[in-house]
Amino acid sequence: MTADPNQERLAQLLSRTALADRAAFEQLYNATRSKLFAVSLRIVRERFLAEEVLQDSFVSIWNHASDYARAKSAPLTWMTAIVRNRSLDVVRRTREEPDIDEALTLALVDEGAAPEREALARSDAHHVRTCLDELEPEQRQSIALAFFHGLSHSELAQHIGRPLGTVKTHIRRGLMRMRDCLARAAVTGD
Amino acid sequence: MRRPTGELAHALAAEYVLGTLRGRARRRFEAMMAADPALAQTVRGWEAWITPMGEAAPGIEPPARVWRAIEARVAPAQRAKPSIWSSVGFWRSWGLLTGGLAAVLLSFFVYLSTGPRGEPVFVAVLTSATSQPMGVVSMHSPNLLRVRVVKNWPSMQGKSLELWVVPDQGAPRSLGLVRNEPGDTLITILPTDPRVRGAKALAISAEPPGGSPTREPTGPMLCSGMIAPVRQAARTPI
Repeated sequence: MTADPNQERLAQLLSRTALADRAAFEQLYNATRSKLFAVSLRIVRERFLAEEVLQDSFVSIWNHASDYARAKSAPLTWMTAIVRNRSLDVVRRTREEPDIDEALTLALVDEGAAPEREALARSDAHHVRTCLDELEPEQRQSIALAFFHGLSHSELAQHIGRPLGTVKTHIRRGLMRMRDCLARAAVTGD
Repeated sequence: MRRPTGELAHALAAEYVLGTLRGRARRRFEAMMAADPALAQTVRGWEAWITPMGEAAPGIEPPARVWRAIEARVAPAQRAKPSIWSSVGFWRSWGLLTGGLAAVLLSFFVYLSTGPRGEPVFVAVLTSATSQPMGVVSMHSPNLLRVRVVKNWPSMQGKSLELWVVPDQGAPRSLGLVRNEPGDTLITILPTDPRVRGAKALAISAEPPGGSPTREPTGPMLCSGMIAPVRQAARTPI
């Protein structure tokens, strides 16, 4: 895969952050804050909670930037995982009723290729989209709702109006089909 | 729990990344992941597969106060100095890098303490080593510093509490003694006073009766907090 300038820049900023370079850390924040804030806000749904998540996540990124090299992930993926995990922690503590933006979820799953961005991420996003398209509609919907809004199995069951066991099966089978599809895509380099 | 392998490892990793693995199962899985590099690698793989799903989603701008709060929490690392009062480990151990709680409290107190009159110039929430908020210090125009002790410290007979300004460079400077009881101590001080120049943080230490004999802190620090300017923050309380 071609090295991507944006991902490379983020990786550089992360490695300088690991050396306690505050200017690099600020650039890293400015380059990713709106994406990551949106990721959290879709899950926690309250701005003040998303602000807390973003703040805690970046303090964690500052403290653990030296772990990044070992993760062998794309920088944005690594940072997104930190934000998602913290958002899911917060959601478990606070949420009673999930608040779903159905249109957004569908738009995100159904829309065409990702806009011009990092070549690496674009090709990953492209594969993921292609493989999502191969799923049954209900599998796709369940996975997208869980991913974008942090819904649990039971919240999904309630939202979709299907039995819990059915939802669990949709998710599990959908994920395994995605894995097989993505593995194929990686092999063929398509 | 036995170490998951093969299909089970993949299924658990996938649901962990997707977020549908919840509660105790999630905690257990995180513990297994920490002890099992192969499982952690499986999770990294799923992150790489699933996370790009959100790449196309539009971003949303967070408010500027988020960065200010992050900056305040990571600031001590930059100012590592030979003195124990400014070393990174010291500040970490005293909870200056603690979680969102302090920030939420800060905003709350900023909100409470600002009104039509007497808007403070800055506020600091002083927290203990275990992140308990112990005091709130606010500077009121033009020359009044209010130190509000939330809860008194037990077993402090024969000790005085002394309030210190921690500057970005040099040794802490004493602002005077504080009563060890819930309530306010008011200290008159001009904003131009050289003791508050370059102030980054405030701290309270336990000293011999009457205060430190050396003009520098000698006793243990009881609580500390970064100073936050409040004029902008006051209009947008959380």
